[in-house]
Amino acid sequence: MSEITLSTVLRRPSDVRYRRIDGEAVVLRQSTAEVLVLNGVGATVLDLADGKRPVDAWIDALAQEYGADRETVARDVLEFAGEASEAGLLEPVPATSAEKAGG
Amino acid sequence: MSFGGEFLCHPDLFPGRRSGEPWGERRLVLDVPGGPYRFSGLAETQVEALRLRFGRLCRVLAAAAPKTAEAGVHTAVFRAPGADFRDLDTRGWEYTLDQDHAASFVRIAGLRLMARLDWAPDLTGGLWTPEVAGEMWVSVLENYLRLLVAYRLVAEGGVLLHSAGVSDGHWGWLLLGPSGAGKTTASRLCLAAGAEILSDDLNAARFPDGGGGPVVARLPFTGDLGERQGEPGAWPLRAVLRLRQGTAESLVPLSPAAAFAALVAAAPYVNRDVWRREPLLAALERLAHAVPAWELTFSLGTDLWSILAKIPP
Repeated sequence: MSEITLSTVLRRPSDVRYRRIDGEAVVLRQSTAEVLVLNGVGATVLDLADGKRPVDAWIDALAQEYGADRETVARDVLEFAGEASEAGLLEPVPATSAEKAGG
Repeated sequence: MSFGGEFLCHPDLFPGRRSGEPWGERRLVLDVPGGPYRFSGLAETQVEALRLRFGRLCRVLAAAAPKTAEAGVHTAVFRAPGADFRDLDTRGWEYTLDQDHAASFVRIAGLRLMARLDWAPDLTGGLWTPEVAGEMWVSVLENYLRLLVAYRLVAEGGVLLHSAGVSDGHWGWLLLGPSGAGKTTASRLCLAAGAEILSDDLNAARFPDGGGGPVVARLPFTGDLGERQGEPGAWPLRAVLRLRQGTAESLVPLSPAAAFAALVAAAPYVNRDVWRREPLLAALERLAHAVPAWELTFSLGTDLWSILAKIPP
């Protein structure tokens, strides 16, 4: 798996679906029938993983939403994005696709 | 491996539509939740085997019975050459049906069976097998029926759950967990304490048509415990419990999200179908909000039945 940086664009794979329930997110990876529960921040990251915005833009959004230090948010988001990618919950968008999707 | 390759010698020849040579002209109906389930094209030996297996749940139709008289889902049964199926050594093997999902159909391959479900728009089924009698035929039919019941229950707003279902005659409880979590062990503890075991393998959770809370309905699919021909029945669902085996006994409430996750993981077949997942997830979310859910850690010495009975409705 390639390293995730601030410029990486990630999306949810087509077999991943999630539902927000009482502030948490239940994520179903349908190809393997795996189910995970994420906290509210993880759910927001999944919302942001639209295959258009780079990770850098997620950090701006999260830092603003939670009123947190941007450097701390960046460290946590990069770590979470790496773990979520390893778990198959996120996947990188090829550069050409991301450019088209972004407009 | 591509679809069917584990079970079929020629997966590329999988039937593209519901047609073929029937085994015979006999027909029957299985009265199982989500049904009735009608089967046609059967040989006499197949009917006899199913009558023995399903008992009172099986109604054999007279040859003269009108073919449109019965509601429910119709499955046509066809012959398939035995040479089309791989010989597999199943010792120590966990059997899982191979499924291929599409917008209007699901294809299924398994031990000595090919099957398809077609939505056009109503659901119909086709089943191809070389088995004409005996235990292997019953196994073929039962494996297909489990999957069919899962889809039918979802269509009704209910779900099939990999679970142990226990009852005190008034209430029902569902015990969830992956293989090895202790469903059968917990069922044995409840049975020893006087509970009725609906099934230690698969149970149905449904919302009655007339409203009210969810019920657990008995299915004829059991593992080691439960009645394979049990009288159909449904009991108000008192609680859902996610099981863990451990030495420190505990009962901890699950958040609705954790309950929903446990239910999704316990909903076989349909939880892998990207084309039909939304009704499943909607039914499970409704269930997660409607019933108290707990995580129960227990050991062989736990008075599990007393714990269940003390859980408030």
